Amino acid sequence: MSAAASGRTIALRYSSRVEEALARIERELEGAYRFSHRAMAVLLLQGDLDADEAVARAEGARYARIAEVVRAVREECGPECEELLGTARREAASQLVATHVEGPTTARLSFQERLSRICTSPVTGVPVLIFVLWAGLYQFVGVFGGGTLVGLLEDGLFGQIINPAVTAWVQAVSPWPWLSSLLVGDYGVWTLGITYSVALIFPIVGTFFLAFSALEDSGYFPRLALLVDRLFKAIGLSGKAVIPIVLGFGCDTMATMVTRILETRRERLIATFLLSLAIPCSAQIGVMTALLHDHPAAFWIWGGVVAGILLLIGYLTSRLLPGEPSRFAMEMPPLRLPRLGNILSKTVARMQWYLMEVLPLFVAASVVLWLGQLTGVLHWALAGLVPVVGLLGLPDAAAEAFLLGFFRRDYGAAGLYRLEEVGALTGNQLLVAVVTLTIFVPCVAQLLMTKKERGTRAAISMAAFIFPFAILTGAVLNWTLHALGVSL
Amino acid sequence: MRVPFFDLAFGRRRRRSAPQEATARGDAPRVVVVGTPNVGKSVLFHRLTGAYVTVSNYPGTTVEVARGRARFGGRQVEVVDTPGLHSLRTLSDEERVARRLLLEEPAMVVLHVVDAKNLERMLPFTFQLLEAGLPVVLVANMIDEAERAGLRIDVEGLEQSLGIPVVGTVAVSGRGIPRLRALLDERCRERAHDRVAV
Repeated sequence: MSAAASGRTIALRYSSRVEEALARIERELEGAYRFSHRAMAVLLLQGDLDADEAVARAEGARYARIAEVVRAVREECGPECEELLGTARREAASQLVATHVEGPTTARLSFQERLSRICTSPVTGVPVLIFVLWAGLYQFVGVFGGGTLVGLLEDGLFGQIINPAVTAWVQAVSPWPWLSSLLVGDYGVWTLGITYSVALIFPIVGTFFLAFSALEDSGYFPRLALLVDRLFKAIGLSGKAVIPIVLGFGCDTMATMVTRILETRRERLIATFLLSLAIPCSAQIGVMTALLHDHPAAFWIWGGVVAGILLLIGYLTSRLLPGEPSRFAMEMPPLRLPRLGNILSKTVARMQWYLMEVLPLFVAASVVLWLGQLTGVLHWALAGLVPVVGLLGLPDAAAEAFLLGFFRRDYGAAGLYRLEEVGALTGNQLLVAVVTLTIFVPCVAQLLMTKKERGTRAAISMAAFIFPFAILTGAVLNWTLHALGVSL
Repeated sequence: MRVPFFDLAFGRRRRRSAPQEATARGDAPRVVVVGTPNVGKSVLFHRLTGAYVTVSNYPGTTVEVARGRARFGGRQVEVVDTPGLHSLRTLSDEERVARRLLLEEPAMVVLHVVDAKNLERMLPFTFQLLEAGLPVVLVANMIDEAERAGLRIDVEGLEQSLGIPVVGTVAVSGRGIPRLRALLDERCRERAHDRVAV
């Protein structure tokens, strides 16, 4: 079959605990794979999704039983074994190097290595994180993307040149008033759907993805995960759960799917819940940062409040749901200077993905709102939301933004953007609205993924908690700002 | 190629089935190049393949995979340059593609390219590849930099301990490449012979 089949190659033996676990899984495997059964067993033990798929394909009817065995072994000793596997390999590597390599193997730490430690140690890592947030997110995405670029595109190009022309043309050509209101009315497909996505979302999300891809290419994110893990540990919440949580800052829906890598039902539930509750996805972070671009203090309070909620609720759920937190082992790719070509190709791929996903949704939402306006349903829905936004100290007009928020959080934020531009919102109101929307329902796609992964009951209970909790947080924040006499 | 961590977070719809390309290529003799990013994988790949290279997206993803042709031992061989892979346990889309290549396309030789300066960090992955029973050849690239850093690597000793061929190379200058080629020639001839014998 292969060179290894000759039996001369080195084969690592793990500790008896790991070997037992592997043997239990390996016994069940009968199919033909390109990898040895032992390697497949190792991957299954680590909860690898592709390996799981390959086994499902190769084993047919035996798969159900294998999955059951794997689940049992993983619940019993998954995280421990994973750590032992890594340790055994590293030790074997050091031993080989010690025998066959002469010279200054433990040379002084390279610059790279030192930088890496600075990023992951809690004392220096937090300031680095704050700097990254300030420079990469606030200045570049918020001030430059959300301020300068949006100003040029939305106010200038669309607001003064394109939209007046399109509106005048449609009104002149359209024989029916309903058609012109569908296309260029308050919730028109052009004036709302296309304008929002191209003039507002595009520059914001574009700058965000640019910053994001640069950070990703540099290898900063795995270090951030390690840093977050260390911070989580301090409050008793820890483990591999940080992987989906950190991934959630990219896209919560995908991250919800990735919670499968977690060993226990408990961890999967906590991670899914936190993703729904307190992790804003990339598009939302971009739009919300842009919203706050005139209010740096509000930006930091927003970050602090959301982080606080994440930690508090994470802490509480990990107390409430019984079980041990699992340990965390991750491969660390080297830090490096990001490459322009990589950054650009990733940004373009993400923009394509985002626009393909968001543009149809925006257009569909325009149509739904237009229908609602035509039938009067919208009026009732808005009237119903007015007391809620009142509770948050927001003007009645903000009800509309919250209604949009049901479709997608970033869509709601885009609605707020309009209010902000006409100066209808104070700094306090903006902050309250942004915090509430961040905690608010995730997008429809994430809700569906939650239902698929965790079941209908879990999805409904999460939504039932999150809605009132978001409003409550907003109300408390509003009241606190008032009581303290803070005015942003 | 790249060090992504977050690609998984971006909702690309992945095809859940085996890539057809892989099955269509069947048992074509193939050399697969794997290793972490920034160890000179691509330079080595171009050294081995020359001009006949096609770059295409791996089915169902936006990850690019370069495939080239080369002649080893008088046989036409396909050489595949995979995206960066740190471990058999994968996190990103690109790593998944690299591993799926290993998992689904038969390889005559798997060239594990490592940074000779950082053997200790890179060998754990070699162990994983060996554990999977893959026909691994370890390529300790950038051996000149290792030497400049004062390291002396006992290549024969490593070969003995690991039980696989180990070649020290400098892909950029071409040092060590003739030895690697000779090794690949031999492997490919052996395999052709196997086939005739069977």
